[in-house]
Amino acid sequence: MVRVKSRYLLCEINVTDRARLLLLDDRAVAAAVRAAVARMHGDYGAALCSIRFSVKYLNAHTGIVFLRFPKRCYRLLWSALPFITCIETRGQKIPCFLNCLHVGGTIRTCQKFLIRYNTQQLHRMIPKCKNEEEKQEIQKAILNCTLTRGNKVEFEDELESEKDDDDDEEEEEEEE
Amino acid sequence: MSCADTKDKPALYQRVVLKNASPYHYMKVCLVLEDESTRLSAVNLKQFIISGLDSLYGEAGAALNFDLLKYDEDTLTAFLRVYSKGLVKLWSSLTLLSLYQKQACAFRVLQVSPFLLALTGNSRELQLD
Repeated sequence: MVRVKSRYLLCEINVTDRARLLLLDDRAVAAAVRAAVARMHGDYGAALCSIRFSVKYLNAHTGIVFLRFPKRCYRLLWSALPFITCIETRGQKIPCFLNCLHVGGTIRTCQKFLIRYNTQQLHRMIPKCKNEEEKQEIQKAILNCTLTRGNKVEFEDELESEKDDDDDEEEEEEEE
Repeated sequence: MSCADTKDKPALYQRVVLKNASPYHYMKVCLVLEDESTRLSAVNLKQFIISGLDSLYGEAGAALNFDLLKYDEDTLTAFLRVYSKGLVKLWSSLTLLSLYQKQACAFRVLQVSPFLLALTGNSRELQLD
């Protein structure tokens, strides 16, 4: 009945060069978000960010990140996310932008959305398959999409290997 | 609120409260500096207030529209106008502004009202002769 509520933002980090994506870690993303909020909303925003903000999950292969914000000010902090232009890690600056896909009240709802979203992405990759073997692999991956207890999105391993092959074509199509 | 009527039925007392009466709020503020002889121009003052909004509320705060309606350079007294939903941001950033070019300073807020006419009179400065 009385519970501390948060909002989880499911964001996707888009970079031009996929190899640089692997360098990301959660502290770098958190620092980038904090800097953007401090620049856009000043001391007030920086103070709101310090209460219950954290990066809950980061997948370096697909560029998916879960950000947690307190419920009463998540819209203000969300408005600062489009102003992130680069993330700095290990001395390198990676130019990127954040795309928010979903807002959920719990990690579990975000996870369910992410599974549905990824199955849609896999479906879109099927017509672009170069040979029959890849098609079989993707179809098998789609059938394996489940939500299991204690395990994050479990089919990601298959996703990343095919994403590397077909991703360039897919990104071009999405931009159009 | 209306009083209870007696048998004579006196005139009813009514109080009318207006909420969101005016889209703007007007403030009369005075800047007090450590070194009394420093003079600021109107442009400098507006820039100083915008820098205060920027430090407390960031770029979104610095974009808040407010107008400097009248400025008296000798007494450093100014009339500001701001949209009602921006009043809290402006007033709080005026409160927290403490340094002007490495001099200690303070903004004294003399009057705030949703109506400009109310700023013409001030019971504190009233002289009864």
